[in-house]
Amino acid sequence: MNKSEIIRLIESRKNIIPPRREFKKVEAEGGCGVVGLACSEKIQGRQIMPALVQMHNRGNSKGGGLAAFGLDAAQLGVDQKTLEEDYLLQVAYLDPSSRREVEDDFIFSPLTVRHALQLPTLKDFRSVNGLEIRPPEVWRYFCRVKERSLERFIEGNSLQSLKPNKAEDEFIYQNSYRLNKKFYTSLGEKRAFVLSHGRDMIILKIVGYAEQAIEYYQLAELKAHIWIGHQRYPTKGKVWHPGGAHPFVGMDEALVHNGDFANYYSMAEYLKQRNIYPLFLTDTEVSVLLFDLLNRVYEYPLEYIIEALAPTAERDFELLPEEKKKVYRAIQASHIHSSPDGPWFFLIGRTNVSRRSYELLGITDTSMLRPQVFALQENGVAIALVASEKQAIDGVLRSLHEEDSRFLPYADLYWNARGGSHTDGGAFIFSVKDNHLTVTDKFGRVVSAEKEKDCPSVQIDAGEGSERCFSEKIQEYTQTIDRRWIIPTRERVCVRSSAEKCLYQLFHSLPERHEPVRLFCRIDWESKGKLSLPEIRQEVLVINCEKFPSEGSDSISRFMVKAIEIGWRNLITYNWRGQRFCGCGLGPESCGVRIDVYGSPGDYLASGLDGAEIFVHESAQDQVAQIMKRGKLVVYGDVGQTFMYGAKGGEAYVLGNAAGRPLINAVGSPRVVINGTCLDYLAESFMAGNPLEGGGFVILNGIRFNEKGEIVESETPYPGGNLFSLASGGAIYIRDPFLKVERCQLNGGRFGKTTEKDWDLILPYLEENERLFNIPVRRLLTVNNKVLLFHEVYRKIEAVELKVLSKKMAGY
Amino acid sequence: MKVLVKGNAGPRFLNSVGKFRVSIGEKCFHCGLCVELCPARVFERKEGFNRVFVTSPARCLGPRCQQGSFFCQKKCPVEAIEIETDPQWKTLGDFRWTPDLILTTWQQAETGEIPQDGLEYRVGNSGGGFDNFDFLIKNSSSPSDQEIDKIDTSISLNRRREGKKISVPVPWYGAGMSFGSISLPVMLARAMAAEAWSTFTSTGEGGYPEELIPHGPHIITQIATGLFGVSEETIKRAPIIEFKYAQGAKPGLGGHLLGDKNTPQVAIMREAVCGTSLFSPFPFHSVYSVEDHKKHIDWVKIMNPESLISVKVSTPSDVDMVAVGSYYAGANIIHLDGGYGGTGAAPEIAKKNIAMPIEYAITKVHRFLLEEGVRDEIVLIASGGIRTAYDIAKSIALGADGVVIGTAELVALGCVRCGNCESGRGCPRGIATTDSELEKQISPEWGAHRISNLYSAWQKQLKILLCQLGLKNIEELRGRTDLLRRINE
Repeated sequence: MNKSEIIRLIESRKNIIPPRREFKKVEAEGGCGVVGLACSEKIQGRQIMPALVQMHNRGNSKGGGLAAFGLDAAQLGVDQKTLEEDYLLQVAYLDPSSRREVEDDFIFSPLTVRHALQLPTLKDFRSVNGLEIRPPEVWRYFCRVKERSLERFIEGNSLQSLKPNKAEDEFIYQNSYRLNKKFYTSLGEKRAFVLSHGRDMIILKIVGYAEQAIEYYQLAELKAHIWIGHQRYPTKGKVWHPGGAHPFVGMDEALVHNGDFANYYSMAEYLKQRNIYPLFLTDTEVSVLLFDLLNRVYEYPLEYIIEALAPTAERDFELLPEEKKKVYRAIQASHIHSSPDGPWFFLIGRTNVSRRSYELLGITDTSMLRPQVFALQENGVAIALVASEKQAIDGVLRSLHEEDSRFLPYADLYWNARGGSHTDGGAFIFSVKDNHLTVTDKFGRVVSAEKEKDCPSVQIDAGEGSERCFSEKIQEYTQTIDRRWIIPTRERVCVRSSAEKCLYQLFHSLPERHEPVRLFCRIDWESKGKLSLPEIRQEVLVINCEKFPSEGSDSISRFMVKAIEIGWRNLITYNWRGQRFCGCGLGPESCGVRIDVYGSPGDYLASGLDGAEIFVHESAQDQVAQIMKRGKLVVYGDVGQTFMYGAKGGEAYVLGNAAGRPLINAVGSPRVVINGTCLDYLAESFMAGNPLEGGGFVILNGIRFNEKGEIVESETPYPGGNLFSLASGGAIYIRDPFLKVERCQLNGGRFGKTTEKDWDLILPYLEENERLFNIPVRRLLTVNNKVLLFHEVYRKIEAVELKVLSKKMAGY
Repeated sequence: MKVLVKGNAGPRFLNSVGKFRVSIGEKCFHCGLCVELCPARVFERKEGFNRVFVTSPARCLGPRCQQGSFFCQKKCPVEAIEIETDPQWKTLGDFRWTPDLILTTWQQAETGEIPQDGLEYRVGNSGGGFDNFDFLIKNSSSPSDQEIDKIDTSISLNRRREGKKISVPVPWYGAGMSFGSISLPVMLARAMAAEAWSTFTSTGEGGYPEELIPHGPHIITQIATGLFGVSEETIKRAPIIEFKYAQGAKPGLGGHLLGDKNTPQVAIMREAVCGTSLFSPFPFHSVYSVEDHKKHIDWVKIMNPESLISVKVSTPSDVDMVAVGSYYAGANIIHLDGGYGGTGAAPEIAKKNIAMPIEYAITKVHRFLLEEGVRDEIVLIASGGIRTAYDIAKSIALGADGVVIGTAELVALGCVRCGNCESGRGCPRGIATTDSELEKQISPEWGAHRISNLYSAWQKQLKILLCQLGLKNIEELRGRTDLLRRINE
């Protein structure tokens, strides 16, 4: 559209401005959990249920919802053409008696309805476990705008020059808006509202958990290419209707949101200046209204929409090519008041009608204050996922794997987006077209598992045998899971999941009681009451964590504390399904305790660790090892946000990457090796004293494994712009032989000399790192096939006496 | 549990500060009449000596004496006695903590009794806040001792169905003031007083000194945004755990301990570098939304399933949302910290006059929680500049269940409100310092007595007030804004 067309379109909305204009935000967002998946094949609704159940503790059952894109025409009772071309209008009738009126005014008169039906539901909503409020009656209408109605609309608003589909879209948008205005927001009872009206997509939401919507509306078998789901945690009021729940609809997109804006009013003002008045008064609604404005009215390319929402800033902006800088500057200047400010993470699903594709976008705010994990698996069938928690992703993959062995229980790749960055723009797009899935970042760069061919079927001999054999086998499988051996990417996940399966079979076969005296004793949720003292000191308690709840006195973490309290010193815990607080509560008397973790552990693992040793044979999540004081943590994978926040001591080794804010506010003497890299804000406010005199330090190696499984350097050991900010003690030893890290990335440290003393200090840790992860020190010192001296490879970043932190402040 | 006998805690200085300065001129011939007459024992003639001395001018009742037959100035045969306002009195304090309030707090800390000498001990002179309104007392006569005895001033700190039932005999406990902002002897004094009164005091965010461990059942430990001194050991020890999200005196800022006060002992306690300023961030880096907050609380419950959880926040405009969110996340106590509070250290430019005044915040949160239907499951505590028993009563009348006391306890120990707290050797009374010489001024036993005496005096005032309002216990006062009236200027 050209400029005058845009103006006229916006003008046309003057007719639908509501008479009473609310300014106050009615629903307070709390925070929530989001999950989304896109698959090259259509998959059924019940596959997303494990992820939603996983995220119960991110919601409080006061609102859940989901959306699906790329549906199956036969399942919906229409032909393919109708599915592609018609608007799929869904209306929720909070008051069923209002349907006549709604249909007369807004459905049958302006629209040609090809097919209308009431969504089938369970007979009794109470048969859904825990559902307390009856979900609304939902009707579905496949429709187009009547020619005459459209003509009148176009005439009345001088929109003749618009392409007809554009005018029709706008008509539908305004029609739904009018419906909502009359039947939802006007004085009196809330009677009905539009759930969605886009093409080849549906949205449903209830007062309850999202998976209860799947159960109640019988969507378990419904197939779609893209699913997104949301568990809400609103903090205000008794909610009896789901109008405020997510997702919200724009045109052909649905948006779910985890977070909270500080500038709701500013965004609402911006929209009002364009004749858009929010009706549901939540942050999420304005987000999708904004997205629709930028996308459909202003026709920004997706890259610019993302920039308008999450601007590139600071050092990342400087590193952009000149052309981009010019455009981005202009975007930022225009959108400074409409860019959502505050912690947020959006998932937007949409039907891209012109491209005939289905897309799922995950966008994080520039400061990365909400958790987000992306994942990709390419194994015949390609599936990409994104969620607030990794265990939600693993839950989906596991459930799919149980039904269809083409899916593996772990993804090939897991990663976090770096908000507002020049590397990925803080956004990833999953696009499904013609049953083919592509993953790109904001700039269009493709993300792929780099697999040349599909996974060969890998058999690992399970075998049986004596207990000594058990120990060896456990070790063997563990080492496979830990990637101790070089395994090419295309086989890694297969090998790993096979090994895990065998290991679990082995564990399941262990005896429950220890008679006669054995080395291993297994226990699980059903038999937990039988927990007794260990017979011999070295006896290992093997706990199947699957059914234990995540929090509370019955949780797996409290159970582990109990076991330690009665004398167990060795625990193998397996089949973690996202439960939190693993290794918390062990207290200061836990020296000599060793805990192994297999599966998908949840947040807060090893927080408060004070003496024990914990080995995690998997990636750990967010808030790992907070306030850790003593002991040892080894993670065969990545760690999430705020790793070792406020840590005081102990040793930690991470095979992969850390996310944002690792070691922030740490004091004392923690000694950490991170082999990968991290998002940003490493060691902010580090106060850990002089490492050469007993203080703390971090070794950052900045390496990764290529598709052959070999060790290679990452593009840069540290991509962020805030390294060692406001630190007053401690040091970072960064493997940076090519001097990629620049002074402008230091926000308060300085490059010092790596002396013999420093090398003597860190070498033992690198040697332990080698023992644990098979990353030889020699390889770390090898650059371009030459072995260099330590000070040519490792740079030291140390604290500088900052004026702002010194004794004498201005005025004293 | 040691019982602290009332009284027993005179001023530390030979020459204490009072409102009046009394002097005897040369005409005096030491007849000794004033010694006999003065009800306050301002004058003294030592055994075996002839001379009359002015030994305790601080006790002088001033012009009030004129009404009595014992007015020394009039009775002196040679008119040798001079009484004038002590210039020191004029320099004390400010409009919130007036000289009278400071002196009467010292008196209460010394005697444990309600001040009788005419100085104003109930309100300040700020023209705002709690000084702007008062109680509508119908019956202002003094109730009998029997009636006073029957009044119950206790409150529960856990009104949820689950969890330990903890209650305190008076509607307050001590605020978090960290080791580093104040000295260890002061912390011990507060701990001993809390123990004697079966209430609590808080470690603040500077760590849990070992010396406090014997008083453990009465020590609240604080988890603040810098996580200083927080470990499983300290969390497991505490009966109540306080999440400090914000501080009313400087909302939007984190904690500050300027380099000067980061002495070697403080650095050891916090495991940081001596001499550097220690800033706690303004948010918890792991909590950016309410479900993160719930995770945080669940984490503490894993380490210490028995403890109660208190969430301390300042007063933004959506403080009601914060409060109800905390309730749903599992907190037992919502602690609103208002802007009148003090701080042991803050940058020179800290934002004043932002966030909601506490007297508005209390009512807002109280009513919101009532509407939500959860008011009786959560304990609402207010703090920030609560100076007197009347401020306490007003807070409760506005809707709080109880209060937290900070500065007033330090005033009880002799603080003169000079405001030099941020400097390492700036505190003339050895309270807000960890300097090894200065801190010797306060002995924990003496300090405990002082605070305990103040508590006695306050409790008595509350009981008398409740009698005069026709109420049986402190809980009945909650939310009774109908018993308050504005003071028209």
